[in-house]
Amino acid sequence: MKYDTIIIGGGMSGLVAGIRLRKAGQKVAIVSAGQSALHFNSGSMSLLGHEQGRDVANPLVAIERLHPGHPYSKLGAETIRKYASEVAPLFAEAGVTLKGSAERNHYRLTPIGMFKPAWLTLEGYASVDDPKSLPWGKVLVVNVAGFVDFYPQFIELGLSKAGLECVSRTFILPGLETLRKSATEMRATNIARVLKDEVVLEMASQINSYLKETGSDTVLMPAILGLYDENPIRLLRSKVVKPIHLVSTMPMSVGGMRAQMSLCKYFQKLGGTYLIGDKVTAGRFEDGSLKAVSTQNLGDMPLEADNFILATGSFFSHGLEANPTSIYEPIFGLDVEASEHRPEWCDMDIYKKQNYMQYGVVNDDDFHVFLQGRRIDNLRAVGAVLSGCNSMKEESGGGVSLMTSLKVADDILNGKGGKK
Amino acid sequence: MDNKFGKKHYDVIVIGGGATGAGTARDCAMRGLKTLLVERFDFTAGATGRNHGLLHSGARYAVTDQESATECIKENMILRRIARHCVEDTGGLFVTLPEDDLDYQKKFVEACMKAGISAEVLDPKEALLIEPAVNKDIIGAVRVPDGAIDPFRLTVANVVSARRDGADVLTYHEVVAFEREQNRLTGVRLRDTRTGEETVEHADLMINAGGIWGHHIAELAGVKVNMFPAKGALLIFGHRVNDVVINRCRKPADADILVPGDTISLIGTTSTRLPYDQIDNMEVTPEEVDILLREGIKIAPSLAYTRILRAYAGVRPLVAADNDPSGRTISRGIVCLDHATRDGLDGFITITGGKLMTYRLMAEWATDLACKKLGRTAKCQTAETPLPGSELDKSYGPEDHKKSHIIELSTDQKAAEGRHGSLSEQIEYKTEDDEALVCECEQVSVGEIKYAIEHLHVGNLINLRRRTRMGMGTCQGELCACRAAGILVNYNKCAERTLRDLSSFINERWKGMYPVSWGETLVEGQFMSWLYEGVCGIDQLARPEDLIDAK
Repeated sequence: MKYDTIIIGGGMSGLVAGIRLRKAGQKVAIVSAGQSALHFNSGSMSLLGHEQGRDVANPLVAIERLHPGHPYSKLGAETIRKYASEVAPLFAEAGVTLKGSAERNHYRLTPIGMFKPAWLTLEGYASVDDPKSLPWGKVLVVNVAGFVDFYPQFIELGLSKAGLECVSRTFILPGLETLRKSATEMRATNIARVLKDEVVLEMASQINSYLKETGSDTVLMPAILGLYDENPIRLLRSKVVKPIHLVSTMPMSVGGMRAQMSLCKYFQKLGGTYLIGDKVTAGRFEDGSLKAVSTQNLGDMPLEADNFILATGSFFSHGLEANPTSIYEPIFGLDVEASEHRPEWCDMDIYKKQNYMQYGVVNDDDFHVFLQGRRIDNLRAVGAVLSGCNSMKEESGGGVSLMTSLKVADDILNGKGGKK
Repeated sequence: MDNKFGKKHYDVIVIGGGATGAGTARDCAMRGLKTLLVERFDFTAGATGRNHGLLHSGARYAVTDQESATECIKENMILRRIARHCVEDTGGLFVTLPEDDLDYQKKFVEACMKAGISAEVLDPKEALLIEPAVNKDIIGAVRVPDGAIDPFRLTVANVVSARRDGADVLTYHEVVAFEREQNRLTGVRLRDTRTGEETVEHADLMINAGGIWGHHIAELAGVKVNMFPAKGALLIFGHRVNDVVINRCRKPADADILVPGDTISLIGTTSTRLPYDQIDNMEVTPEEVDILLREGIKIAPSLAYTRILRAYAGVRPLVAADNDPSGRTISRGIVCLDHATRDGLDGFITITGGKLMTYRLMAEWATDLACKKLGRTAKCQTAETPLPGSELDKSYGPEDHKKSHIIELSTDQKAAEGRHGSLSEQIEYKTEDDEALVCECEQVSVGEIKYAIEHLHVGNLINLRRRTRMGMGTCQGELCACRAAGILVNYNKCAERTLRDLSSFINERWKGMYPVSWGETLVEGQFMSWLYEGVCGIDQLARPEDLIDAK
């Protein structure tokens, strides 16, 4: 089978690149193992949230101060500014509403009541401009009985630190009784799966009665609705008499899964081929080019393409792997930027900088990768598999994925450094 | 200055919340002594919680130390009776690898027989049928009555027993000084290690059961007990590789025992001399990890591709005798010191040396001496009386559960019963929410968490982990720690403290993962960072001093 571009990895960066290429008329296939970091998403994405331990106010300005090997430095602030403005419209086409600006970070409320800088936040999730002056008045925190992945007390603590009055209520939803009977079923995505409109309406009326009883001005609740689309969130917001915001829960992430599924559906609607549950096992290289890849399911039927994109993610997604003696890229054995000395990979304190987080495949200014020192002219890497940034300490994971995906897709379309 | 339990005067104060201290408190309380048990951190925070969890048959010591071997097999048989909910009768094999000397087997079997340890020589092929995980190239195998024992359950069962017989118990209370009148100790000055608050408790007799830390406790009393800190490192594998304990049939050396325990397997240990000032601060080095892995793979080749959950190290509380640099040839014999006759200091006993297997016997010796000094005549009953949770006469079991909404025991209820024995009857499933799972890896329910918080001296997440195994499974607490924190905060009503506890709990889990951070362990570690730092932002709260709670 022959494609214009084959993308290895079906998470956010692979899908965004795929959508971009497909919209320009390319024949595109994505090979996805089925897991995506979006499944564990916080409800927001950040471009650059932290700089040397401090919150970044304007990411586009702070980006200019990053070290030269950083993916953002390779892109340059102007390119980032341009692409950053294209992300929300692209997601909107896929049915995912994102709010925020690259000119100025906002803050999202975390599951334990902290505030973290963010660039784009999913529809319905709690976010504010300034955590020191919260616009919410008296807050009612509601939870569903039996749901143990949401922590009203911690959120109350976070809000009380900002001087807000808070009350919490737990309600029983008759529509969830079947789920509650099974010990493992009360997880956010399972709840979201069964929250039919009539249950959402029941929820709204219970919340309204708590609002009346407590005299609260704003409602916060766990993000347990809107798995397939944003309609349940809109319905709830239209029925609850005060503003209501969602707080992300512990995994799985309902909003993140919605984003993943929506992007995937959109890519397929555009005519892209999405091979889910498959895995690229090897590649055929000739004269510094990748000619074809073989996959687990397709066996001896190789997938050929003019261009390939590696969007396999970090260790977490198995885009990188480690054994006791080395860190490697498991599909092709690409050149990797990582210490060969195991004790240097990690710090004993989990909250300190972990060196392994910035390991990744060696790449040039256009994100071409290398095999045994030789640049592969039609294989580029995007997102978390790239070396050069510590997305945890920088709060830059989402942005790096999106910016590099859009850039690489455009380079392929423009025939830059490879074949058209 | 108020004491914690009113103006009580105790017969004995037992210092140290490991198996020996808890066992001594049980024995003292059973013999009618008014007993206070004090521990500076949590039960099992020292060597008790950092070993193989091996129910030794004694075979390992048979060649080098007959006395220990004999004690071991006797206690092995006793523990099978009195602590059946803490013991798993896995059986054990001593295997000879091609690189080992088969002549040692003969010497080994003879020594076992002499110590009263059943040692059956097997055809290596038969051994492979009994334990398919063992290296198929073995040239010899001997079957011995080894087993697995859960030191956390064992210690807590002793505490519960002591409490039932009237003992008072204080965790997170460190002895910072002794009260004395001339040449007699009359009490202890305790500091609450969480609040810094100091109190004084009085007793006729103090029993130092502090393990390796007993060295320092003795110093506080003004006497010298020279301890020999020997560090032993172990690796925990992510699933039960073997169902039978596998030992190398050779002179005790590094990494020659692989023990199955609950859902995991453990390989250990190494043995290195440690400066005394390092005993609270143990790190497993890359070299130790490499040795354990290299030698472990020889015993069970599948370890090469089995995920390692974590690495940890404990300190053997050996009493210094000779100048052996490894500490391995020292007898693990029990040392029971009456400081009145030894040092002219009355009201003070030290019980040390020994090992987890002989904790009960150590407790018996210490309590015998205590009774003698206090003029009491009650006899020891700990070898016959089952521990709470292990009562045999009490009819309980799946069919006896009459709880209205439970048709049959769910997986988590069965797991809870495995952990708490007959005590699991006290776990209440009042509402359906109590059946919700907190820890999916180890099947710990909300009800079990609540039971542990209410009845088993739980103030923080690490205490909870030790009582229930929550967070000990493959995800290492990633998903359950937050849930458990959400329940704990309903009891302590302090969200700030609970969040900081959560942050240090996650860091403590990572501390065991980072020495083996490759493969799936690194994946799990990155996921942990992603969730707690990335999604939650808990790093904003993390402070170094919170690690005090993580002990």
